[in-house]
Amino acid sequence: MSGATRARPVRPATVASFAVLVVLAAVYLGPLLTVVNVSLQTRQEFSLNPTAIVGQPQLTNFVTAWNKANFPLYLRNSILYTVAATSLYILTAVFVAFPIARRYVRGSGFLFSLFVVALFLPYALIPQFQLMLHLRLYNTPVGYTLLFLVDPIGIVILVNYIRSIPRELDEAAAMDGSGYVRFVMRVIFPLIRPALASVIVLHAIGIWNEYVTPLIYLTKKTYMPITRGLMVFYGQYGNDWTTLAAAILMLTLPIAALFLVLQRWIYAGVLQGSVRG
Amino acid sequence: MRHAFHFGGRGSRFVPYLLLLPGMLLYLLISLGPSLATVFYSFTDASGLIGSPTKFVGLSNYREFLFLGQNARDNAEVLVRTLEFSVLVTVIQTGLGLFVAALLNQRLAATNVFRTVFFMPVILGVTIVGLTWTLFLYPLGGPAQKVLALLGGHSEFLGGPPFQAFLWVTWVQIWANMGVTMIIFLGGLQTIPSELVEASRIDGASGWQSFRHITYPLLTPSLNTNLTLAIIGSLQAWQLLLVMKGVTNGTQVLGLIIYAIAFGRTVQNPTAVAMRQGYGAAASVVLFVLVLIIGMTAQFLMRRRERRVLG
Repeated sequence: MSGATRARPVRPATVASFAVLVVLAAVYLGPLLTVVNVSLQTRQEFSLNPTAIVGQPQLTNFVTAWNKANFPLYLRNSILYTVAATSLYILTAVFVAFPIARRYVRGSGFLFSLFVVALFLPYALIPQFQLMLHLRLYNTPVGYTLLFLVDPIGIVILVNYIRSIPRELDEAAAMDGSGYVRFVMRVIFPLIRPALASVIVLHAIGIWNEYVTPLIYLTKKTYMPITRGLMVFYGQYGNDWTTLAAAILMLTLPIAALFLVLQRWIYAGVLQGSVRG
Repeated sequence: MRHAFHFGGRGSRFVPYLLLLPGMLLYLLISLGPSLATVFYSFTDASGLIGSPTKFVGLSNYREFLFLGQNARDNAEVLVRTLEFSVLVTVIQTGLGLFVAALLNQRLAATNVFRTVFFMPVILGVTIVGLTWTLFLYPLGGPAQKVLALLGGHSEFLGGPPFQAFLWVTWVQIWANMGVTMIIFLGGLQTIPSELVEASRIDGASGWQSFRHITYPLLTPSLNTNLTLAIIGSLQAWQLLLVMKGVTNGTQVLGLIIYAIAFGRTVQNPTAVAMRQGYGAAASVVLFVLVLIIGMTAQFLMRRRERRVLG
């Protein structure tokens, strides 16, 4: 850039906008930084002054939380549920979305509308519970995973994205004698990668963060995912905020890190998911 | 209409159907079916126990929920609170989201960093958000208390009067979801050609005037999307309340009491007592009707405004 000394004059409105954003950011970062700070305090420091910035950070809270809160077990469960359900969902979802987007099946429009209206329908909570009870899948990891093989917004995103891919591709592939499965797996999957990334990330985050479903369906500690584990820990050690903060932070950091890497797909997914029909 | 299918092989016409089936059946079995079956269950006395007989009870669940004695009065209170929650969340979240998006749409430094910060809570989920704010609102000298002390105030926050605690959770709900609103508005802002705004500025319009008369009308589709999502989302929301307040008197909304009724969590007995799933299903249907009426009315008004504004 030439003429660095002749910088554009800064308008007062710009300064004001920036100041407002900084204040708002403080409202957003304040609670999160409090967790970081408290997690590094000793119990004495916390009871004397919870907001004192730690002078000598110590990591014993993390060790305590890791052991007392059963972290390794809950973490393993969360990873298993998230990976299993997300991969199965994606595989089935593409084979639902592709023929609907291309109208290769009768009643495509109707089938698509079944997914679009999902947002408005009654809460499936109670009959879903009855179903799992009668299938003898209550309090089982398989039953719990089964509940996450469905995500109507993901289908809506995929259908809308597939519609933007030219049909000539299908015709060319068919002329070359390619079969349907082969075409979807080899051609469509790579082409819809941006939409897939968004759907995968949003679906996985949804499972990972789920709090009420495990509360209802999993009573055995050995089956619980980490969110539920954290609330059990909170119930037992509700006043031990230094250890609790360490536990919260250990759960927050991996999600936050993943978010920083995957933000573009997440924003894209939120936008695509908000466009209906 | 159905397009001609070109892929080869014997019986290949059926292959797409066959492969569509698993995903479709799962959706019908786990989501759509149960959702519709809620209406059926609302006419029964189903419990959460396997093997206990279920019989039809006609409209008695609805009668009990809406008209019978103290229960119905409590439920009416919950209904009003649900509406208060929904109005507060919809108005403030949409307003704040629009405001932040408009700020971020200027050529400022570090807008991406701000966007990340504001969106972060969306990703963290109710457990982390709920516990983080419970700590932030720690009444014995916690951060929020210190800020309040600077202004000469004091509060018990979540431990205070129920309505106050309820307002705090309402705020946290807004804080946690404003990022989605912001992203949808930012997406809308990007579709507005910058020449339009610049031309108006050259013609002498102030920043506010060009926002009010050019940007804002053109944002109508994003505004409608955001309002729809916020209205429906806030009417159905309850999980953050459960994390931050549990099942307590004076802070419940409709979604929360459906859970509490169906899974036997009461104020007196936070671990399970009788699970009245039929009665809970009736409450779910009441919530559904509420969402339907308010959602449809909002859709109607928004469509009318969109036609007027965008022609």
